[in-house]
Amino acid sequence: MLSTLRAIWQTDGAFPNGSFAFSYGIEGAIALRRDMSLRDFEALIEAMLKQRWAGYDRVAMLLSYRAHGDLAAIAMVDREVEASTLIEALRTGSRRNGASYLAAHARLGEPLAVALRDAVKAGDCCGHIAVMQGAVWSALGLGEPLSQLCSGYVAASGVITAAVRLGIVGALQGQGVLQRCLPLIEQLTAQDTADEVELMSFIPFLDIAAARHARADLRLFAN
Amino acid sequence: MLHSLRTSDHEIRSGAGAARVGIGGPVGSGKTALIEALIPVLQRRGIDFAVVTNDLVTREDAERLRRSGLIDPARVSAVEAGACPHTVIREDPTLNIAAGDELEARFPGLELILFESGGDNLASTFSLDLVDWWIFVIDVAGGDDIPRKRGPGMLRCDLLIVNKIDLAPHVGVDLDRMLAEARQVRGAKAVVPTNLKNGVGVEAVADAISAAVLFRV
Repeated sequence: MLSTLRAIWQTDGAFPNGSFAFSYGIEGAIALRRDMSLRDFEALIEAMLKQRWAGYDRVAMLLSYRAHGDLAAIAMVDREVEASTLIEALRTGSRRNGASYLAAHARLGEPLAVALRDAVKAGDCCGHIAVMQGAVWSALGLGEPLSQLCSGYVAASGVITAAVRLGIVGALQGQGVLQRCLPLIEQLTAQDTADEVELMSFIPFLDIAAARHARADLRLFAN
Repeated sequence: MLHSLRTSDHEIRSGAGAARVGIGGPVGSGKTALIEALIPVLQRRGIDFAVVTNDLVTREDAERLRRSGLIDPARVSAVEAGACPHTVIREDPTLNIAAGDELEARFPGLELILFESGGDNLASTFSLDLVDWWIFVIDVAGGDDIPRKRGPGMLRCDLLIVNKIDLAPHVGVDLDRMLAEARQVRGAKAVVPTNLKNGVGVEAVADAISAAVLFRV
């Protein structure tokens, strides 16, 4: 039960981890499609979960989780994320989000978060958010299934929260989208993930939107 | 270096590292102007400092400071507020905490970091997870009824600045009454009137910062 409570704690929108400042391409996508309908938005979230989160963020989080606090192994996953995230805004955003996440857990007294934060400062780690989540959730004893559910939930809810603030969906419409995402997240976590699996992502529209967003004069979100 | 964990590094904001001071207040009240006015005064006093700005939709404030020629641009960090200027300094200050940590790592002798909030309303307050002490800036052109509205930002800050005092006669504000009401609602907490365009009150603000967080009187 304690691991379930810890999972709820980690997905609570009130947990301070810096995620509120990142849209992960959604602000740029909305700038490209100003008349985006609710259905279009929902399709975008579904694509993001299937084609980015399931094969990339979820896998990076899991590989880091399986390192069970071995900093060298965590750093290896981290470097792979750094090397394979081609869009600079997404790469730097992920690192900044990871730094905020570590700042929160370090202040709360999690020794692994302190060690990872120091490794980032020393240049031994990049500090990508998915990798840092996996490492810390392992230290918190969430277990792999709950860690995957947490990862999927915060990925979907973060983007939906950004969309609400950008005004393309209402608060309750957003919760409807999130509710409909839940079975998909469960389904995507059901697949076995081998230790030697490659990170895979294919969301060209969001990648291009994020790249364009980085050059925008006016923007609310960091990416 | 990646093989051992420090197991007893339970951290709280307890005075380790540079002192952190917040500067909040409504849009246009003079937060960036305050920092621009403070920079030469702090430099003259030999204080090693840096600045973190929180812009709402642009990097305007950060760029204004970087291009000012007053400060090494590397000492100015920008944090986007994700449409929530109060969240980034109160409910979730971790982006700012990380930005401060990063500045401390880059400038090991840093004594002071100023965090400029994005323009917000009178309810804006700083988390004490982020700062040791904070300033709220209002201006006379915003209306002489601001002190009577008793917003949490104005009531709870450590130092209240009433800026643009030179404009008082032009906007129909009785400055003496506005300052008296501000002092009345704030009790023993300090109120400093300023005209940041010509430096009035800046030394008093620098004195207050020095005394409160740098322990230099």
